[in-house]
Amino acid sequence: MQLPRSLYTVAVFTKISSRRFFRDRLSIFFGILFPLIFLFVFGGIFGKSSGTSFHLALINDSKSPVATQFVESLKKQKSLKIDVNQYSLDDATQKMVRSQLDAAVVLPKDFGNVVDGQQLPTGQAKVYYTQNNAQAGQTLSAILGGVFQSMNRALTGAAEPFTVKGEQVNKNSLTQFDYTFAGLLGFSLLGIGIFGPINVFPELKKQGILRRLSTTPLRVWQYFTSTAISQCFIGLISIAIMFGVAATVFDLKVMGNVFVLAAFIIFGIVQILGIGLAIGGWAKNERQAAPLSNIIVFPMMFLSGTFFPRFLMPQFLQTISNYLPLTPVIDGIRYIVNEGYTLGQLGPQLLLMAAWTIVVYFVAFRLFRWE
Amino acid sequence: MMKQSIVVVKNLRKLYDGKPAVDGISFEVKEGEIFGILGPNGAGKTTTLECLETLRAIDGGSATIAGIDVEKDPQAIKRLIGVQPQSPAFQDKTKLKEVIELFAAAYGEKVDAMKFLDDVELGEKANAYVEQLSGGQKQRLSITTALVHGPKVFFLDEPTTGLDPQARRHLWELIEDIRKKGVSVIMTTHYMDEAEILCDRIAVMDAGKIVALDTPKNLIKNLLKKGFTKEQHVEQANLEDVFIDLTGKALRD
Repeated sequence: MQLPRSLYTVAVFTKISSRRFFRDRLSIFFGILFPLIFLFVFGGIFGKSSGTSFHLALINDSKSPVATQFVESLKKQKSLKIDVNQYSLDDATQKMVRSQLDAAVVLPKDFGNVVDGQQLPTGQAKVYYTQNNAQAGQTLSAILGGVFQSMNRALTGAAEPFTVKGEQVNKNSLTQFDYTFAGLLGFSLLGIGIFGPINVFPELKKQGILRRLSTTPLRVWQYFTSTAISQCFIGLISIAIMFGVAATVFDLKVMGNVFVLAAFIIFGIVQILGIGLAIGGWAKNERQAAPLSNIIVFPMMFLSGTFFPRFLMPQFLQTISNYLPLTPVIDGIRYIVNEGYTLGQLGPQLLLMAAWTIVVYFVAFRLFRWE
Repeated sequence: MMKQSIVVVKNLRKLYDGKPAVDGISFEVKEGEIFGILGPNGAGKTTTLECLETLRAIDGGSATIAGIDVEKDPQAIKRLIGVQPQSPAFQDKTKLKEVIELFAAAYGEKVDAMKFLDDVELGEKANAYVEQLSGGQKQRLSITTALVHGPKVFFLDEPTTGLDPQARRHLWELIEDIRKKGVSVIMTTHYMDEAEILCDRIAVMDAGKIVALDTPKNLIKNLLKKGFTKEQHVEQANLEDVFIDLTGKALRD
């Protein structure tokens, strides 16, 4: 089968510009390795949540077997990270002031001793916390209370009429990493779609390369299409690598269909690339491209849920961010990855993306300059 | 038989900020002719070329190539012309044979890249990247990319500026070869020797107007008729002859 002439043009331009990408170490670094570095940084911060919610210092001054038993049962608490006898109370207080510790628990010397006239050992653990950590201190007191209760029960053998038992119900609740990952993908889409063209086009204009092309019958749509296809190809490779790393290193689970995800991401790249083509195609030089791209990219970077969850923003910012071009892309990726949505369930996102795509490409075609 | 005119320019005007850069010039270029446009910087040479190359809108008058109006059908004009810019540049990390492929594809055509590289003695460099080329090699690559679609008119803007004498002479031969294939050549230059050796006819431009248009011989003859005299030197050679004698004609890259 023979391609129509105009599509043959697109095919050759696509092929050669994709090859050029993989020959250039700098573009491989910024296109593929740079997002991976971000992934490792954010994965390191948010990934593999150990379930630790309190970090405390335990200072055991007692040598009684009850104290040892108490320390052991405390260590079994999943939500606690405990440093046993590593610091003095003064050191621990310093660390609490610096928020490196949430609380300190002290078992005094007589803890667990049998006092004269009593049959059972007694003792009182002290929980120290700073003003900032009042909540942690109180929660910790409650946890310790629970541990003591079961110890008391074991000692006295008394039955308890009322008890509480916690049970986890939502197996698929999002970890912080799952949430962050979609934002990171959004960030790397900005890199692929916007920073690519705004850096390359003004340079091509400066050297007169686009001008020379404009003396050939090459059409703007052919040039845009070949750029879009090769950027999608490169973007998919970069994103596939990110998924691979996220899945193997940070236990990311993709709930949705991979092909649905790929199709959605391609649409996302095409849409975001339209913004890059509009800015890069319009700008005569870097001095025009840089400030304009900052004005357009920064709001998306901070408001579309790349690094900060949108639900933490004040209502009016959420309303604005609802309509930014990158927001439906990140939301959609999150829905597919975390909740297994199909394309049919992403109507609002796809609609908004389609609207933006029409707008940005209309502007891009209008503003494009060969020199 | 008189050869037909392929390029016809009538009263061409181009304004920049209201000031005429090209001020009502007219000329015709015949098939297979090498036509030179000479003039000091800012005379309007490059602007004239750019109007014919469809890069600039024409503000007055008309220009046709092979009977097609440049203003009305620029897309058709682009298929008829080849353009060599003043300082050719290519995207780096592109192999020479890919550059040829790319330009041919811009016309929707598939060509034998090696043939076009061999034409300008770059066959050995087919798999090299463009950034590895010397200035002269880039010029030659640029010329061959402008010919991939078999144009009827070939525009060169100061093609030999910055080249060494060997590369200049080589380029002159190349331009002669292109003309032999029946392609009309329109070139601008600052070098009078180049115009004298290469061009069949010359238009001398100044301040946006053509102040003289004739063959180099006639232009000189007319000047002498006006009683122009120059101190007589009877030199059998000049410094360039010495240079070529010492360093040879072979191309250096």
